[in-house]
Amino acid sequence: MIQHPGVLSLLAASALVAGLLALAAGFGLRILLRWDLRSGSDLQLALERETYLVSTLVAFALGTEILSLFLFIFTADNLHGLFAGAMCAAGTLNAAPGGYATLLLKVADCLLAGLWLILNHADTRGYDYPLIRIKYAFLLVLAPLVLAEGLLTYRYFGGLKADVITSCCGSLFSQGRGDLAGDLASWPEGRVMGILAGVLGATFLEGIVFLRTRRGGYLFAGLSGLAFLAGAASLVSFISVYIYELPTHHCPFCFLQAEYGHVGYFLYGTLLGGGITGLGVGALMPFRTHLSLAQAVPALQRRLTQATLLLFGLFALLVAYRVWTSALRLGA
Amino acid sequence: MIEVSHVTKTFHAGRPNMFTAVDGVSLSIARGQLTVLKGPSGSGKTTLLSLIGCMARPSSGRIRLQGVRTEAFPSLGDGASLEITSLPERFLTEVRRATFGFIFQHFNLIKGVSALENVMLPGYPLGGDHTLLRRRASELLERFGLTRHAREPIDRLSGGELQRVAIARALVNDPAVIIADEPTAHLDSRLSVSFMELMGGFKETGRTILIASHDPLVFDSPLVDAAHDMRDGKLHVETPT
Repeated sequence: MIQHPGVLSLLAASALVAGLLALAAGFGLRILLRWDLRSGSDLQLALERETYLVSTLVAFALGTEILSLFLFIFTADNLHGLFAGAMCAAGTLNAAPGGYATLLLKVADCLLAGLWLILNHADTRGYDYPLIRIKYAFLLVLAPLVLAEGLLTYRYFGGLKADVITSCCGSLFSQGRGDLAGDLASWPEGRVMGILAGVLGATFLEGIVFLRTRRGGYLFAGLSGLAFLAGAASLVSFISVYIYELPTHHCPFCFLQAEYGHVGYFLYGTLLGGGITGLGVGALMPFRTHLSLAQAVPALQRRLTQATLLLFGLFALLVAYRVWTSALRLGA
Repeated sequence: MIEVSHVTKTFHAGRPNMFTAVDGVSLSIARGQLTVLKGPSGSGKTTLLSLIGCMARPSSGRIRLQGVRTEAFPSLGDGASLEITSLPERFLTEVRRATFGFIFQHFNLIKGVSALENVMLPGYPLGGDHTLLRRRASELLERFGLTRHAREPIDRLSGGELQRVAIARALVNDPAVIIADEPTAHLDSRLSVSFMELMGGFKETGRTILIASHDPLVFDSPLVDAAHDMRDGKLHVETPT
C-alpha cells in the first residue's frame, strides 16, 4: 500500500463511516421492529431519545461520505505520477484491481447518501417522526453498500504498487475498445450534445412548472436523474474533447488538473449536487400530504428544485462556455 | 387540559444510585383551574412539574396537552390535544416557550440585570418585535407596582419585589399555563396570601395554574380547585375541603 496522506485519510474515513453506519443499522433494525409512537413504554421513550444521537451521527457520516468522493478522485489524480504510463486519475484507477468499481460504487453511494440526508432533514421538520421507519429502512439498504465500498477501497489501495505499468487515459477512453468507456467515446458528439441540451431543457421546463403549480414532482425527479446520467456521459463523449481541444481525447479526469483550471471539480460538483437535489424532490413526493409535513415538505421541495435548477444551470453554462470558447470545431 | 398518563421518571437507570422520583403518576388537570401538588421535600413534586412543563422527559408514560398555540403545529386544530413527551427537541422547546410561564422557588432572576430586562428575557427567543416586548414587560411591571424599579438591577430589590418580577417574567409571553414551584417558600404570610390572590386573578382570566408547595397557606387556600398529595413519587388524590 502507498502511504499517501490522501490514501490514509480515505481509508480512515471509510472505516469511520462504515463503522458508524453498521452501528446505526443495528439501531435502525430496533426502530423497524419496536417503534410504536402510541406506546409510553420505557423502550419507546429510549428509542425517541436515541434517534437524535443516531441521526446526527449518520448525517455526519454521510456528509463525510459525499466529501470523500472528491478526495478519492483528487487522490487518484495526485498519485498518477507514481505509475509508469499514467497521465491522470484514469491511469491510477487502472493500476490495481477495483479502482473503477470503487469509483462507481462511491458515486452511487453519494447519490443515496444525499437522498438519505434529504429524508432525514424532512423527518426533523415533523413533530411526530413521520419518516422514521422509512429513513431507517433506507439506511439498512445503504449501510451494506457503504460497507462494500469500504472493503473495495481497502482492496484497491492495498493493491496499488508504485512499480506497476498502467494504461494512460488516451488508451482507456478511446474509441473501439468495446467497453463502456470506449462506447461513450465513440458516440457521435453532436447527437450526445443534442440529448444533453434536450434533457437539461426539459428538466428546466419541468422545474419551472413544478415551482409554479406544485405538480409533476416525479417527472422532475426522473428528468433530473436523466440529466445526471446524460451529463456524466457527455463529459466523456464531447465536453472533454472541447476542453482539451483534441478530438480524440475523451478522458473525464485530465480536466481535474491545474492545467485546465481544475474545472472538473466544478463540473462533477454541480452535476452530483443537481442529481441529488433533483432526485430528492421525487423522494419527498409521497410525504407532501402527511399531516405534520403538509407545510414543511412543499417548502423543502421548492428549495430543492431551485437548487437543482441553479446547479444544473451552472453546469450547462460552464459547458456552453467551454464549447463556445474552444478552438476545436467538430463537424465543421 | 393536561393529561398525565402513567408517568415515571427514573434517574441513573440501571446504576447502583438509581432513583425513581416520579412513579407511575396519572393525573388530569382541567383548563382554567388552580391545582396544587403538595407533599414533603423529595416527594417528586418538582420533577413532575418539570415533566409537565416540558423541561425534562419522562422515562416512561405520556403527557397530553390541549390548547397548544404555536406556529410549529399548523396542522393541529384549536381543540386538538398534543402528546408532548414524544416531541423532538425543537418542537418541545416551542411548546415550552409558548404555553408555560414558570415561577421558580429561588426566582432564578439574573443578577446585575435590570428588572425590565429580566421580565423581557423569555420573549427574546420568540423573535417578536422588540418595542412591543419592552412595552408588554413595562405594562406588567406597572401592573405589579414595580415601575419605579424597572431600570434597577434586581440585586437591590426586596424578596416580595423579586417575586413580583418573577411573576411578571412568567406572564410576558402570555402563557396558557403558569407553573410555580414552592413560590411562597421565601415569603412571609402576608406576601404568601397576596401571591395566592394574584394566582386567583390569573385563574379568572382562564389560565391554568399548577403549584407545587408544602405551605398550608397555598394548598388550604379557598382558591384551590384540586390538591394532590405526593409521597415517594406516587400520587394520592384528595378533594379540596
